[in-house]
Amino acid sequence: MCDHSKNIYKPYLATIAELRDETSDIRSLRLVFQDEEVREKFTFRAGQFAEYSAFGAGESTFCIASSPTRQGYIECCFRAVGRVTDALRSLEVGDTVGVRGPYGNSFPIEEFYGKNLVFVAGGIALPPLRTVIWNCLDLRDKFGDITIVYGARTEADLVYKHELAEWEARSDVRLVKTVDPGGNGPTWDGKVGFVPTVLEEAAPAAANTVALVCGPPIMIKFTLPVLEKLGFADDAIYTTLENRMKCGLGKCGRCNVGNVYVCKDGPVFTARQVKAMPQEF
Amino acid sequence: MTNTAQKLDTIPLVDSGYWSSVTEAIRTEAERLLSSGEVTAVIGYRAGRRSGTALPAIATSPEQARELVFSPGCVNNLALYLTKAKKDVAKKGKVAIVAKGCDLKALAGLMGESQLKREELVIIGVACAGVYGASADRSLPLSEETIARKCRECTVHAPEGVDLTAGSVPALPQLSPEEAEELARLEAMTPRERWAFWTEHFSRCVRCMACRQVCPFCYCEQCYCDRNRPQGVETSPRPAGNTAWHIVRGMHLAGRCAGCAECERACPMDIPLNLLNRKMAQELKELYGHEAGIAPKEKGPLAEYREDDDQSFIK
Amino acid sequence: MPKMITEQNLRALIDLLVKEGSRVVGPKAAGTMTLYEPLAAGEELVLTELPRRSAKEAFFPLCETILTYAKGEEGVQVNDIDPARFPETVLVAVRPCDAAAPGILDAVFSWDYDDQFYQERRKKTAIIGLACTKADDACFCTAVGLSPAETQGSDLFLTPLSGGGFRVEAVTEKGEKLLARYSQLFGEAGSAQPLPPAEPGGEKLELARIKAWLDANFESPLWQEIADRCAGCGACAFLCPACHCFDINDEGTEAKGARRKSWDACGFAKFTNHASGHNPRDAQNKRYRNRLMHKFKYYDDKFGKHLCTGCGRCVRACPVGIDIKAVLDEINSK
Repeated sequence: MCDHSKNIYKPYLATIAELRDETSDIRSLRLVFQDEEVREKFTFRAGQFAEYSAFGAGESTFCIASSPTRQGYIECCFRAVGRVTDALRSLEVGDTVGVRGPYGNSFPIEEFYGKNLVFVAGGIALPPLRTVIWNCLDLRDKFGDITIVYGARTEADLVYKHELAEWEARSDVRLVKTVDPGGNGPTWDGKVGFVPTVLEEAAPAAANTVALVCGPPIMIKFTLPVLEKLGFADDAIYTTLENRMKCGLGKCGRCNVGNVYVCKDGPVFTARQVKAMPQEF
Repeated sequence: MTNTAQKLDTIPLVDSGYWSSVTEAIRTEAERLLSSGEVTAVIGYRAGRRSGTALPAIATSPEQARELVFSPGCVNNLALYLTKAKKDVAKKGKVAIVAKGCDLKALAGLMGESQLKREELVIIGVACAGVYGASADRSLPLSEETIARKCRECTVHAPEGVDLTAGSVPALPQLSPEEAEELARLEAMTPRERWAFWTEHFSRCVRCMACRQVCPFCYCEQCYCDRNRPQGVETSPRPAGNTAWHIVRGMHLAGRCAGCAECERACPMDIPLNLLNRKMAQELKELYGHEAGIAPKEKGPLAEYREDDDQSFIK
Repeated sequence: MPKMITEQNLRALIDLLVKEGSRVVGPKAAGTMTLYEPLAAGEELVLTELPRRSAKEAFFPLCETILTYAKGEEGVQVNDIDPARFPETVLVAVRPCDAAAPGILDAVFSWDYDDQFYQERRKKTAIIGLACTKADDACFCTAVGLSPAETQGSDLFLTPLSGGGFRVEAVTEKGEKLLARYSQLFGEAGSAQPLPPAEPGGEKLELARIKAWLDANFESPLWQEIADRCAGCGACAFLCPACHCFDINDEGTEAKGARRKSWDACGFAKFTNHASGHNPRDAQNKRYRNRLMHKFKYYDDKFGKHLCTGCGRCVRACPVGIDIKAVLDEINSK
């Protein structure tokens, strides 16, 4: 999308149209490109990422969290943990951020047509799947059953709480939400337990089903064997690797896992691909 | 490719028998320590592939102990390998370390900062004649031309407080104190000249952080200069960040630096960093009577308060 | 007929190029060392020493501004860097190990996304290579498939002649043009004999064999052995002609500043540290492994080339004596 005959490091400018605090330190931004032409031409696929900048602080890498079916804006979601994310969080509606992208590969949504989908996410890793979830919900009749297993440490750590409620209310989505033991308040109506355990209990059928998993490395580590046990083949499990990146363009050299450049060859991989990589992610 | 002019009239500072006797003493002790099980590893030096070079070696068997050497190429301060920064070495168990006098000061400093315990360490001290300077032609013997600057002013040829001294200190000539002379030259400069001197040197800094990584006292798990929240020092190799980094480094090591000059030796851009260390040491001596020594001190000059501390700077 | 140029005329060529407005970069005395730096006159050229840093910075500077920004009444203004301002450059007296590097780096700076900062400089630079007649014991270009007389990578190639001056060989069209344009400075080589090329010592390496070992040995005690010593600095990477990792940072204030790209190194502890605190290469053994794997396996897998020209700079600079040639020798013998 960026004009690559030019400076590949130069971002588009976008205005913060809306912002929402998901948790005490996680914020979502809705961004609208300032240039009309970019606004019209910018397209992306679910799973792709971008480099977002707060001028004066630098750039950070996040997935595009909104669905490609919703045009005119993109959304991102991040936790304020460093210089850039602190700066992004300090911005207000109407302020300008830089956006470079979209970069990387994407989920092969078309290949999922006619299949059941199971989304498994932990903590702040819901955004990379949320783009796919809405993409699929917006094309609801092309898919079979949709199950979402989402967990966080505590109730307060769940992101997109209003959307969780929306999904819960829909009859065409099965949402299983959970918090880690001890993370539940008095009014919690979801499960209590770690994501892999809750997934095993929920036991979605593996036949004609694709699983999409995203979460901290430890969650992925324990989720893959559960999916395997449930009968999911490695080719039917997708994940997205969120390695540290700077350029997003296959140049700066830090996101590699073995000879795989996550920014260009990924970030979306099947479990089969992940297992073939050196275990260094 | 480096074409150091061969100085054929170079006079060796010590005869070659000195190096082999120190080497033999280290090997014998290391072998004994490892075969008796007294230690699980001996941190010393072994010969490198290139002639005249030696590199840090961690011997864990009597066979490996036989490979240890002492030569003018044994430039490293091995105290680095006992710090938090090198956790993997500590994991090997109780260790022995080969230490030159200058390295002993670093060990003492680390003990003073509660990073090491003397009783958990076997120290094989080296009666040291000196080692090569960073730009020395290593095909030549150790001589007045090839010796490291720090060694020209060494006051700790004979180690003290060690478990065993390898070799004996040979008769050594008095060498001109090049570094002290250069420091005096710098001191005599106007601030503007001095600024120009350092600006030129810092302009070459590539921020490889070798100065930090080889320093036994740069063992912080999170260096202030790597922090970005807030960011204290710009990370780009540009004048502002480079200058800030070297000032922060100098200040943070004031009263802790043992003067081993590893930072300067490691610098691929030949920045004379030990001049900064020396200057700080001089200030500390004048202000607090502090000097890096071989005996551990419980508190460094900047980590304690005394009634009679100079307070004239408070205006 | 082969051409030659006297040392005096080589310096005169530099003077002429400078006068015409070209940027001429070559080995120049810089304090205690020699560096590839812009030459103001031919007399500044140093022909006897390998510069401490490689020539890669002529294409991929240590630090460069990739954009500037300013906040005003109408919001943020981002100002592009105009690559047209990069001057036509002649890189002169470049050793074969340095001249070979751009040809290796072209692949990564151009796959899918063209890094115009690199590409534009590459396009505008002519390389005048210089054969080596001396090598030290850190040099190992011959072990990785190059040689002190390797012309590949140069546009014009100079070989010192026994009676002084250089034999001149046009390697590329760019070189032919230089030769034609400044023909008055070049003479006929006649019967003057070139000096024999340097002979770097050491064992030859079978890179395919090394690659095969790396393919099979992601887990090996070797990585920890090296990591026990490795201090985790970036001296090796920063002096290397082929290392190309970089960082991107904003510097300035919220109101005004610059975004800069500067060299980085995979040996640094925080290089791959995630925002969450998770670090895929959280120990020095993993980081050293990545360094070696990237040079002799990953880059080969990806682009069919290895990231090493045998210049020996990392060997000379490593403060803890890690000698990549010795490491490769060891792997080669496994």
